[in-house]
Amino acid sequence: MNNSKNPLSPHLQIYRWQISSLLSIVHRITGILNLLGLIFISVWVFSAGLGENLYECFSFLLKSFFGKFIIIGFTWSMSFHLLTGIRHFFWDLGYGYEIKTANFSGIVVIASSLLLTVILWLSGRGLI
Amino acid sequence: MKAPQKWAFQRVSALIVSPFIVWFFYILIYLSGENYDAVTNFFSKPLFSSITIILLTVGFFHAKIGLSEIFEDYIHNEKIKNIANLLTLLFSIVIPALTITILLYKF
Repeated sequence: MNNSKNPLSPHLQIYRWQISSLLSIVHRITGILNLLGLIFISVWVFSAGLGENLYECFSFLLKSFFGKFIIIGFTWSMSFHLLTGIRHFFWDLGYGYEIKTANFSGIVVIASSLLLTVILWLSGRGLI
Repeated sequence: MKAPQKWAFQRVSALIVSPFIVWFFYILIYLSGENYDAVTNFFSKPLFSSITIILLTVGFFHAKIGLSEIFEDYIHNEKIKNIANLLTLLFSIVIPALTITILLYKF
């Protein structure tokens, strides 16, 4: 079967940027990032299982600026994907399709994902 | 797997994973600032292993369906798409299996 003449699915370069399309694309990108996050979690658990020396190496990385950036990044990616996922659930149930509502829920999702990330970091580190 | 099943599985797995992944990130943030003893002490708790096992199994399953959905849109060569799907399936089984094994036998 020759598929090469079919139109390529999501014409990312053609459409004007809008909240709806931006969130749809970022939902996918964060989905892929979350897969990397799951692999990161696996490596973390794995390295602790391999003994203290190896874990200390990994832990040294985690405690560095770069490590904190990675953890906060994965936390935000997870938060965003989870919240846009909840937005998708409402659509599945038949709610929130009006353009105004969809734009509003989009902004709510962006703001809440940042808020959830901050709350998780501060409470995880015992700062609140 | 047929499309309606994928649709349903993707939503069910999302619902299962959601509370656990938020909890897990909270624990990751907490333990990433602690030392080895605190980490292994936490990992040996049955609650931690049970939740991590569910999280990794269902999480990688969710990722597998999602990634296949992306392949469906962007890979137009059937052969390459099949290989990509097969590799994803393999990784989504091997990585959690290895991690769960080490979690159960080392802690």
